Amino acid sequence: MPSFVLYLIHTLFPHDVRRPTELGADFLIIMSGVIIVYYLTKQKKWRYLWDEWLTTVDHKKIGIMYLIAAIAMLFRGGVDALMLRTNLALPTTPVISASEYNEVFTTHGTIMIFFMAMPLIFALWNVAVPLMIGARDVAFPRLNAMSFWLFAFGALLLNISFVIGGSPNAGWTAYPPYTGVAFNPGPGENYFFLSLLIAGMGTTMTGINFLVTTLRMRAPGMTLMKMPMFVWTTLTTAALILFAFPPLTVALAMSLFDRLFGSSFFTLTHGGMPMMYVNLFWLFGHPEVYIVVLPAFGVFSEVVATYSRKALFGYSAMVLSVLAIMFLSYGTWVHHFFTMGAGPAVNAFFGLSTMLIAIPTGVKIFNWIFTMWGGRIQLTTAMLYQIAFIPTFVIGGATGILLATVPADYQLHNTYFLVAHFHNVLIGGVLFGLLSGTYYWWPKMFGHKLDERQGKWAFWLYFIGFWVTFGPQYLLGLEGMTRRMYTYPLGFGWHELNVISTVGAFIMGAGFVVMVYNVLYSLKYGERDLTGDPWDGRTLEWALPSPAPEYNFARIPVVTARDAWWDMKQKGQTLANSLSSHDISTLEMPKNTPVPFLLGLSFFVVGFGMTFEWWIIVAIGAIGVVASLLYSAFDYDEHKHINADVIRRTESALGRLQG
Amino acid sequence: MAEKLQFQSEATARAHEGEDEGLPSLLPRFGEEKFPWIQVWGYIGSLVLTFAALILVIDHVLPPVALLSVILTLAVGQAALQIGVFMHVRESRGLAWQMVFLGLVLLMAAGMVGMSIWIMLFKSGVS
Ligand code: HEM
Ligand SMILES: [Cu+2]
Repeated sequence: MPSFVLYLIHTLFPHDVRRPTELGADFLIIMSGVIIVYYLTKQKKWRYLWDEWLTTVDHKKIGIMYLIAAIAMLFRGGVDALMLRTNLALPTTPVISASEYNEVFTTHGTIMIFFMAMPLIFALWNVAVPLMIGARDVAFPRLNAMSFWLFAFGALLLNISFVIGGSPNAGWTAYPPYTGVAFNPGPGENYFFLSLLIAGMGTTMTGINFLVTTLRMRAPGMTLMKMPMFVWTTLTTAALILFAFPPLTVALAMSLFDRLFGSSFFTLTHGGMPMMYVNLFWLFGHPEVYIVVLPAFGVFSEVVATYSRKALFGYSAMVLSVLAIMFLSYGTWVHHFFTMGAGPAVNAFFGLSTMLIAIPTGVKIFNWIFTMWGGRIQLTTAMLYQIAFIPTFVIGGATGILLATVPADYQLHNTYFLVAHFHNVLIGGVLFGLLSGTYYWWPKMFGHKLDERQGKWAFWLYFIGFWVTFGPQYLLGLEGMTRRMYTYPLGFGWHELNVISTVGAFIMGAGFVVMVYNVLYSLKYGERDLTGDPWDGRTLEWALPSPAPEYNFARIPVVTARDAWWDMKQKGQTLANSLSSHDISTLEMPKNTPVPFLLGLSFFVVGFGMTFEWWIIVAIGAIGVVASLLYSAFDYDEHKHINADVIRRTESALGRLQG
Repeated sequence: MAEKLQFQSEATARAHEGEDEGLPSLLPRFGEEKFPWIQVWGYIGSLVLTFAALILVIDHVLPPVALLSVILTLAVGQAALQIGVFMHVRESRGLAWQMVFLGLVLLMAAGMVGMSIWIMLFKSGVS
């Protein structure tokens, strides 16, 4: 064989991607790839895929693509979690080795935060926000598609690492010197940095896009204080993204420079400052936890009002507390590294500032409870998640306060107590919130409900599984078990609790299976939503048919009250009953474009080349990037017209046109 | 006549109704298709500033303190250039609003940088 083939095999498929797990995964990936290609070719669906999805700039379709990606990533992250838990239930006969364990927990954390939680949030934003504010699209539709494809190709880059070249293994926090090239050669960490840099660009652009969308695209009459709460949390989250992602980008890029170009920003030698990485990472990291949880707060604010059939209690207090959280969350980051020993003054300051955040959060909890108070509560799946969220999140917040107590944190830091705390807020808060939103807006996306009985089964499995998994972990932490260990000696009394925790993890896994079955079943048999308003909703998205037509609103509504759609219903109005055919004019809408997809693909090529330091491939990808951007910049033909007659026909087919 | 994409028509309508008084600067201006020479020069300028700093560091041309002062100056210049050229501050028609946001940004940046310095000084009594 020519020597470069051997070199390629050696580089792309070293020993640690030839373990049974990886070979099994290779087999599955290749098989499903073949099946998908065969199906698309046989059904002649390539054209459809390209025209309707890959080149789309329609926020509703982009939202659905984010959703599919997020659920796929939840699967991968979940399988990783089950591998970790299996190992910990069997301390005497570890199933995976120490080094594989490192890779799996790194992938698990990275995927769950960056490639599951974030896209699920963007899915809900894309699906709901433009409809809620009475807009025809986001402010920058093409940028929106670029964000999606940068995210998707970034995710792909991270996901291929475990079968091509080797996974990252330094944790989702990627601290030096674990990531230093001297201690950690091989492509794994390069994959990590590059995939997050690429996806991070997309995230920043999404932040800008939704900031402008919520500020500038609202229907006439919808003042800031008439915006639905979900839109408020979108606005504040977008602002958080704008300020939080630059420190991350800088930290990742500098780490990558250390690895690829021999700089020494964070090395132990040549005056490098590893602690500066930790500082920069958490300067991003703490706002990030609020980036993921604020949208969940937003979902709950909509869900609780709808299913209690009452306006949200204390709207202005809610707005104020969201704003307070936004500002305060920038002043707490040191609580992630109290034990670094920056000094008593620093630690005391950041301990106190952390505890302050609990106040606005508490305000919100009370307002949700008062919204339910005296309401007519419907226990739908979405509402069950909301009700489960309240006690779960309160406990997560309370353990957070314990961790923020500096002397206690010296004991608890990086133990299973910490692991239990952040899963408590991330699963009980973020995941429950986003799943609640998914069940709530599902009819708006797909035109049918998810089966409620199965949905509740999935909910109970998740909820019970969650507590069985993470309850024992608090105790394990107090007993001194540290995080990120792949096995432990039997004599510490940790075994029983770990077994319980693993059982809980498998219960959650069962919840995921039921949820996927729920989705597939409902595609075919789910109750169709013919009214567009299956939950008797309060906000504008429910004034439209499900799914909404491409242009969303045939005529932009005028908003006069906070719960705009509820208010219209009280007055006996709908969007349709005053719509006559001469109200409809030809609309200018953004046109499909291949540029975002090609841009993402080019960045993928750059990232892949850089991971292996193959500079010719990097150059090819970079040419693709520049070409896509130039083409896009000089492409003035970015709009199409939807003819008034087409809209009239669509609306009257939906029975929404008078006369 | 086609109704423009919503953000054009809405924004214009609002401005006409006087609802958004004080925010004319946020009105989008379409149809200006002059070649963006300012941005091209700004881009070249930002590259020059970046590579100047890089070369100074790589070639060890200055003693440490002088080096730090020079690259810090270059960084401030870079920030000013980005804000002036790419954030379109100079072209604004509502300077008052821009100043509010700029002030906020400076506050955040100063806070982050200042607190980071404080943290990284390690005036430690416990570690
Ligand atoms: C009252 C609210 C909260 C307080 C007081 C709080 C406090 C803390 C503290 C002090 C730590 C560091 C503990 C250590 O490393 O020893 C921590 C870690 C963490 N918290 Fe929270 N927290 C709160 C809410 C949240 C929320 C809402 C989220 C996410 C949605 C979250 C996610 C995390 C994560 C991911 C970590 C650990 C990350 C890691 O080390 O990998 N926290 N929290
Ligand atoms: Cu934090």
